[in-house]
Amino acid sequence: MSYLSTKDFLEDKDFLDRWQYTLRTGELDLSWMRAATKQVECTPQNARRGLTFRDLDVPGYGYSTMAEVARENRGFAPRGAEIPAGCPDLQAEVNRKSEVWAYNVESYYEEAMSRQWNATTDVPWADLMKTELPDEIARAYSQLLTFLTEVEMIATDVPAKWMGRLNADFFEVKNFIATQVMDEARHAEVFRKRALTTGYGLMKASPQNEVNLKFLRDADSFSESSTTLHLQAEGMVLTMFRFSEYISPTDGDKKLFRLVMQDEARHVGYGMQHLKWVLDHFPEKREIIHKHLDEAENFVFGGAYAVEVMEPFIILSGKGMKKEQIEQGCKITAAFQVKQVEEYFERLDKCGLPERKERSQLYKALELGQAQLAAMGLRTH
Amino acid sequence: MTARHGNPYYLLGFCYSVPMSVTFPSEAFFQALAAAMAGAHDRFRNLGFFDATIGIRVLLDDGAERLFVLGFEVFECMLAKEVPSFAPFHVDFVLEGSALVWRGMFENVRHNGGADVAHSINTLTHFGEQLTLRYDDPDGHDKLYRFAESVQQFFNLAATLDAVTYEAGSRHAAPAA
Repeated sequence: MSYLSTKDFLEDKDFLDRWQYTLRTGELDLSWMRAATKQVECTPQNARRGLTFRDLDVPGYGYSTMAEVARENRGFAPRGAEIPAGCPDLQAEVNRKSEVWAYNVESYYEEAMSRQWNATTDVPWADLMKTELPDEIARAYSQLLTFLTEVEMIATDVPAKWMGRLNADFFEVKNFIATQVMDEARHAEVFRKRALTTGYGLMKASPQNEVNLKFLRDADSFSESSTTLHLQAEGMVLTMFRFSEYISPTDGDKKLFRLVMQDEARHVGYGMQHLKWVLDHFPEKREIIHKHLDEAENFVFGGAYAVEVMEPFIILSGKGMKKEQIEQGCKITAAFQVKQVEEYFERLDKCGLPERKERSQLYKALELGQAQLAAMGLRTH
Repeated sequence: MTARHGNPYYLLGFCYSVPMSVTFPSEAFFQALAAAMAGAHDRFRNLGFFDATIGIRVLLDDGAERLFVLGFEVFECMLAKEVPSFAPFHVDFVLEGSALVWRGMFENVRHNGGADVAHSINTLTHFGEQLTLRYDDPDGHDKLYRFAESVQQFFNLAATLDAVTYEAGSRHAAPAA
């Protein structure tokens, strides 16, 4: 136990006397009734939607008027409450709004809460169990599911790691991150369940990807972590989920991927709105983010094209391992990989980082991929 | 509470009537889907908030096109309208395809009671081979994925319509499954 109370309350005579006196006499202190806080009226702007965080954005409590630096609240006082002397400094690590905030974060939270689903009951497991997949398809699918489970486990850990480090004033962000932790845990659950219902179980872990995931976990700041987790990694995983839906062998698998892609797209949305906020309100971060992406893109290139990730895609999209199926699978997978990276740069562009293309090694790899697609007579739209 | 009061279209002061037979592509067809969505309120409420404005572009054989806007808010389709242009509506993304591909998708939905593996919206749009997904803003684009299951369930409601005819060819589709 590293943190001890400054007093032993059972040994504190004043404390014990006050407690017993109050209960004996009914004489109340009531100082809390005179808290220096605002009385406000909050009502739902749209009754069909219910009472949202946006409806609570009123003077004294809202996020719109929150200061850039949270100097006053050093503990767990809810934003807007009176903070009396004696509240401890709990040393939140992130105290600048521009390091965590995102445009519309409150609506991403509300969307997340209303779109939660259940991996146990919302996936048609009974139908999936009835479908027997060809051996090589089932093996490739199980390998993909193994990789996705691995990815989702770190995607659970990273936002969870940051939650307790953010100042309590960033309530809406912390709550959004809490929904992400739940989403990612559910993704790890659903992929594990699907792998174990293919009849083949889990396959091999991916060393290269685990190194990449460690890099994601160990980012120095929340903004760097968010840019690589929400925008880069989840953006690429979102394209991967859409591709996985595209190549899914059954209706039930399609539904599974549509459900996970919804959550992933929401996290990408938060990541984009966060990066925009950072670039608008904390421009000094631009170079730091570029430096972080320089390394992140190197990791992602090595991870995404590892054999245990790419080869299952080739087999699944070609629908088998015959020569012509592999050829077809290579073409479809090449198109997917180009699409994945194109969409990543499209998002960075929109966030206000268009110069990324100029300094990015990954962009050079994209140009190679695009040339390769053209040589194969293929081109993404 | 009466059925009338439970219908959000009445609450909002308007209501799409549901004709026995609708023709694709037409405003009546998409309004029939909107009405079917209101009738399946619990299913869409369970899927969660659905806030997006979607453009539908149907390319006809003669080179002409028909444009429709679908506006979703909270759990309902608030707008299903044929329009001359998408510009005033600030659509998040546009789903574009030939009348033949759209027809193939809706016939498949009606035949199976929902899209099969080859006819989900994500599959049809993924590489732009059949339906093309157009957008100006990647954030708007990503809304197709943020609301993927709601979008799919909305189009799956075509299976619940009494009868659908198709303008090009005008033959009756297979009965709903």
